[in-house]
Amino acid sequence: MLYRVIDASEIPLLVNAFMESYEVVAPVETDQGVNFEVIDSPDEMKLDYISTVVSPKKYFLPPKEELFRFDAQANEVLPTCVEFPKRVIFGMHSCDINAMNRLDLVFKDCERPDPYYVGRREATLIVGVSCMPGENCFCRLWGADEARYGYDLFLTDIGGKYLVSMSSVEAANILERSCNPRVATDEERQAFRNQTRRRQQSFNADIPEIQEVALLMDAFHKDPFWEELGGRCLGCTACSAVCPSCFCFDIVDEMDPDGRCGSRVRLQDSCCSPDFAVVAGGHNFRPDGRTRVRHRMYHKLNGFLMTHDRMLCVGCGRCVTACKADINPIRVLEFFERKGLDNDE
Amino acid sequence: MRSYECNRAANSSEVECLPTPRVVVIGLASCFGCQLQITNMEQHLMDVVGQFELVYWQLASSEPMPQEYDVAVIEGAVTTLESMETVRQLRQKAKTIITIGACANTAGIPGIAAAGFNGHSSEVYSQGVPNACGQVIAPRSVGSVIQVDYQVPCCPIDFYDFSAVLSRALYGSNRTVPNRTMCGDCKRNETQCFFEKGELCLGLVTKGGCGARCPKLGRPCFGCAGLSKDANLDAARDSVARYGIEVAEFESRLQLFNQTNEALCEGAKGEYHA
Amino acid sequence: MMNSLRAPFGNDGHVCECAQHINSISGRMEIDPLGNYSYPLSGQELMAMNPYRPWSARITSITELTETEKLFEFRFIDERIRNAFRHKPGQFVEVSIFGVGEAPISISSSPTKEGFFELCVRRAGAFTQVLHEMQCGDIVGIRGPFGRGFPLDLMRGHDVLCVAGGLGIAPLRSLINNIHDERSSFKKVTIIYGSRTPSEVMFRDQFEMWRHRKDFDLYLTVDHPDDGWDGHVGLVTAPIPTLELNPNDTFGAICGPPVMYKFVVEEMRKRNISYDHIYMSFERHMKCGMGKCGHCQIGHQYCCVDGPVFNYWEAKNIQGSM
Repeated sequence: MLYRVIDASEIPLLVNAFMESYEVVAPVETDQGVNFEVIDSPDEMKLDYISTVVSPKKYFLPPKEELFRFDAQANEVLPTCVEFPKRVIFGMHSCDINAMNRLDLVFKDCERPDPYYVGRREATLIVGVSCMPGENCFCRLWGADEARYGYDLFLTDIGGKYLVSMSSVEAANILERSCNPRVATDEERQAFRNQTRRRQQSFNADIPEIQEVALLMDAFHKDPFWEELGGRCLGCTACSAVCPSCFCFDIVDEMDPDGRCGSRVRLQDSCCSPDFAVVAGGHNFRPDGRTRVRHRMYHKLNGFLMTHDRMLCVGCGRCVTACKADINPIRVLEFFERKGLDNDE
Repeated sequence: MRSYECNRAANSSEVECLPTPRVVVIGLASCFGCQLQITNMEQHLMDVVGQFELVYWQLASSEPMPQEYDVAVIEGAVTTLESMETVRQLRQKAKTIITIGACANTAGIPGIAAAGFNGHSSEVYSQGVPNACGQVIAPRSVGSVIQVDYQVPCCPIDFYDFSAVLSRALYGSNRTVPNRTMCGDCKRNETQCFFEKGELCLGLVTKGGCGARCPKLGRPCFGCAGLSKDANLDAARDSVARYGIEVAEFESRLQLFNQTNEALCEGAKGEYHA
Repeated sequence: MMNSLRAPFGNDGHVCECAQHINSISGRMEIDPLGNYSYPLSGQELMAMNPYRPWSARITSITELTETEKLFEFRFIDERIRNAFRHKPGQFVEVSIFGVGEAPISISSSPTKEGFFELCVRRAGAFTQVLHEMQCGDIVGIRGPFGRGFPLDLMRGHDVLCVAGGLGIAPLRSLINNIHDERSSFKKVTIIYGSRTPSEVMFRDQFEMWRHRKDFDLYLTVDHPDDGWDGHVGLVTAPIPTLELNPNDTFGAICGPPVMYKFVVEEMRKRNISYDHIYMSFERHMKCGMGKCGHCQIGHQYCCVDGPVFNYWEAKNIQGSM
């Protein structure tokens, strides 16, 4: 991996250089919390944030997107032009970068790539930034606290300076043009090591570290815990809305008011929506909170692991804040922790 | 897609067309705001109305109520025996019933009078309810009297929701009507949750799909779209308490639009009152 | 990201082919209804460019099978698509009626018939109601074919036992007719098809002809016979215990209402047919057809990609499948 060092004071220069040819989005503190937004100046950025309310997945899988236009009376697709704005996401954490890598496995590196997702992915540069964990962060448990690939630049804060990992030629060119990247000194390399150790030791020790989560989920598939956890689900889909790796969607036709033309649109959906698993004829394969929440936890902590060899959950902790019914993977880990203690007695 | 006679000009004349549907619009106990929402959208009004034959709408024309029609759009709550009969007749004659607005769907604001209904009129009218009011009964939704085919929720309705439901009724649609509650919609809008600020919001039990417009504008949800049929009321009460808000406040706010909802075991239907 | 390091997992590193038509300098994708691009494309390439985009197909024949079921024949309008569309028995397509929506329907015809395909549709909801109102010459949109079908390659050279219940005959017909068209590739072929009443038996003409053939053992059975019925009476499981079977050499193919599977599988297992030789088609609400939207998920599997045809061993390993 190619890496250099720049001063923290050079960050605005880098951002301005990106702004010359890209739309730059970055974490911004608003009255609604910290969220990714388009910025007009580097001063608006808040790079030292713990988490955003909603993940940057919205730039790749928007809550609503038009797939194509159609003429319903003639029953045909109309010429449609889909735009993919050139964009830089500046300040993405490792958890979110890892979530994007998982989404790539479903939408890009697969048998039937999704051209809308691929178009956005190809038009977007990602500049990652290091972080310190909050009390709800458990990315470390799934190896999502490091971004091994999936970014164009990654900035690790080493105190007044940044160690920059350079991954793409395009981003490296912009970096070299706008800043003065230099080879790291021994001190700077040591500062990086100190930073990683500090971060490692800052994770919330109360979140249990459990081995064999996937197999434990199979073993306790019928445990009454799932009624206790899922029974309080409000069916609000907030968890999926904020989650960086949730990708379920619905496809619907929306007619124009004149009843002639319309759009086929894709909408974000969630397996926790009460009617998600309804089939033609009305039967619902997951009719209650217990089965739906269990299914979602399965997909995050077991199913995806079996099919793609990595956890779909990246431990970002957003659902811990977003769920008003206190349902999240930490509660599942605590359940397994309790199960372990019971057996010891 | 289905072709009606009124669409004929747009297609080749060989296409077999169904007769243009005849639509009546009826207002019961309401503010008529939902009907106004339709007329207010001037730039699309002719597009929408061009898809059917409007045979009765007091707001738009002085034509009398016809004998035959295909679609009845009903706004307002049922608050008298007379309107209950009207609604039953509409069901007999029309193939399709569309209710618009909270009054028609959940009994809405008129529904606030439902609980303890029998005592109300003597409080208001010392000599009994005037004859001109008809034979008043405890207010109720249209759906509690007849089978309703399509609903346009909220108070007032959104024009585009109405247009979408109309398309659905005319041309068919296999799109599932969402049953989820609203919090996810707020997150997709990136609106901060009111509960985090210690404020009550009914989004956690209210049917989603309206786009969570009110929270986005800074006002918590008051439940005008109605409770989701899958709303988890017990869990919601626990959630409300978890954020330090009195559950009594939650119960009280539900009375505004959802008083007659059976899930709340409140809002007695009441009896006929002279 | 442009030119960034690729993941060690995933595809073999070539630039996503579907992105060729995306102009990455201007960041735009054009969806051309007629598929006219500045360079010639094959049907396969057209379909792969945007798998969400339906291709127009005309209804060329409608046969009323019963009071509620119709058989539709479709032909793609674009020749490139018509030539490239090759399905396997057990696969499905997503049918679009613009404005109404999209619905998954199993292909009912054999892939040995080129140039057209057939769908058997029951009028059961809003979408199928509109489809049933359509006439010959009307146009729909088609995406597909999707899904994992019946494993013909494994079945060739062996015995096949097909068990269909009710509407389950629709996807199984694709398999059955394919076997018929390559009859010599298969050994003993047994078909059990059960319906509730004689009026609900579909493809009756076809099956009446086959009852007298020596190269198919056909059992037509109903739950409630009428006076004119001269076939079997009883459940589809009834013939299985007494069939002449070579269990080591037999593949089972089952399709029907969910409640039926458990019992049929039980009978097949009693005859010692191997776990992974018993194939069945599961129904879930497939929407995207590509393992992305999540609606058809059963446990960790996607019905539209890992199924809809699963074998019994796989089904046992999926939580919540049976």
